[in-house]
Amino acid sequence: MNAPMTAPGDVLLRTDGLTRRFGGLVAVSNLSMEVRPGEILGLIGPNGAGKSTTFNLISGFMRPSSGRLEVMGRDCTGLSPVKISRLGLARTFQHGSYMKSMNVRDNILVGTMHTMARASAAERARRVEETADILGLTPHLDTIASALPHGLQRLVSIAIAFATRPRLLCLDEPLTGLNQTEVAAALDVFRKIRQEFGATILLVEHNMKAVMNICDRIVVLHHGQQLATGTPQEIRRNEAVISAYLGTRHEH
Amino acid sequence: MADLKLRGWAIGAALLIGLGLVLKGAYPISLFNIVAISMLIAVAFRFVMLIGEQSFATSAFVGLGAYGAGVATTLLDWPFAVALVIGPLVVLVVSLAFGMLTLRIKGPYFMIIGFAFSEFVRIMLTKTAVIGGVSGMPGIFPPREMDPWLPAFVAAVVVALMFVLYLAEKSDYGKVLLAIRDNEDIARTVGLDVLFYKVSCFMIASFCAAVAGSLMAFVNNVISPGDFTFLVGAYALAYVKVGGEKSLFGAAGGAVVLVLLGSYALGLGAGEHLFYGGAIILAMLLMPEGLFGMAGKLCQRIGLKRSAAR
Repeated sequence: MNAPMTAPGDVLLRTDGLTRRFGGLVAVSNLSMEVRPGEILGLIGPNGAGKSTTFNLISGFMRPSSGRLEVMGRDCTGLSPVKISRLGLARTFQHGSYMKSMNVRDNILVGTMHTMARASAAERARRVEETADILGLTPHLDTIASALPHGLQRLVSIAIAFATRPRLLCLDEPLTGLNQTEVAAALDVFRKIRQEFGATILLVEHNMKAVMNICDRIVVLHHGQQLATGTPQEIRRNEAVISAYLGTRHEH
Repeated sequence: MADLKLRGWAIGAALLIGLGLVLKGAYPISLFNIVAISMLIAVAFRFVMLIGEQSFATSAFVGLGAYGAGVATTLLDWPFAVALVIGPLVVLVVSLAFGMLTLRIKGPYFMIIGFAFSEFVRIMLTKTAVIGGVSGMPGIFPPREMDPWLPAFVAAVVVALMFVLYLAEKSDYGKVLLAIRDNEDIARTVGLDVLFYKVSCFMIASFCAAVAGSLMAFVNNVISPGDFTFLVGAYALAYVKVGGEKSLFGAAGGAVVLVLLGSYALGLGAGEHLFYGGAIILAMLLMPEGLFGMAGKLCQRIGLKRSAAR
């Protein structure tokens, strides 16, 4: 067992032996990881590695079969998504996590509804505009979300989550289907969110180049197991990771 | 907050209440009352559609509202004002319990439970001797001095509740309801208590349906369980679909059109039900956004042509 490197208060999210079984399949097995304040942590792995299950476990959409989940220093094992999100953890979903029939302004506004429940309408409107500005959605505020191009829809789902001003922002494959320019722009947005708002980001992503580029640390999953954890440089040189992704030499 | 069309509301309310004041003759007055009450049922039914559900428990709540008025007036001799609200207040409690239990499920399952609940309530009403059983309760009269004002009063109550629903829909609360319809999981991830919003929406709509029921009791003076079969909900769905579910005005307009046409169809005997079924099918085939959606599009096209001509 790895002993935690930091005091409990210093960690936004910690999983301890987190496991989820579906019948005979172990989707996530004995995962112990932590997310430290201010970092951008990448969660990568081939298809079916258990990334999405991990995301559902830490956001409360799924209950672990065993193990422990701690969010903002509090035991959250088995808590509902609402309770976990109220601790300051916001997440997006892989597929269309926005309200398709509402315009972008109202989409983002929904993100402020709970966290700014006591604020005035003007304050909320300011939050919406500020959020749209950071994500470059200002020109599209009055467009119905379903009418936007795919890349902008991705940004809308991030905007909704970010409008809650979470301490931990969990993004599920936010770069899928984006072109190179859009990816670069999105990475800039992530950096800006961290720098200007002190948010910590947990990123599940397929785009290896982007992950290597932006993440401070990376956790690699493979068949539900935690294969490696480290900086991008360490991960790039890790034998186990290379063989999981490319197959070992004699397999060919 | 968005443009609330306050002037339009004031004019509409004045027209409807004014019409209620000037109408003469038993048939026009009764038709007017039925139209107004059906408008309220239609907008109440549509309010639950904001969270993406169809509540066929509407029939039961209209019935409970009516029987509240009946019991309070004929058995208990309570004053008119109390008799009017007692059913709706009971419905608030019933819909709270019903909503808490059933709104965790969605779509067809919720619909079927609504159907079943409506039939359960109706059968219970037929089995209860003290409220008249199958033959129902006669003699539910408003105070004598109310008589000339009744249509205007019905219109005023209907417009007032419609306006409340309209305000709720346009408010932040209404936006959360739409967000839940579009994507419930997002609402959860931003910290919103989805069940609270669903249940409260359902309670508001059920309250309005019950007020429609208690108005119906005072307008018809006689109620029986047969008036509150699941068809009340089915008709409400027809009003909403034919008028256009996109706006509250569509639902209300659909009620006006269908009740007026339906009063003609009454002469068709059993064909009446075919008429409503046919209306839903035709509306969904020919104008998926309803009469009012189509009218809106037509206006837009004319407007476009005008601006193009310039």
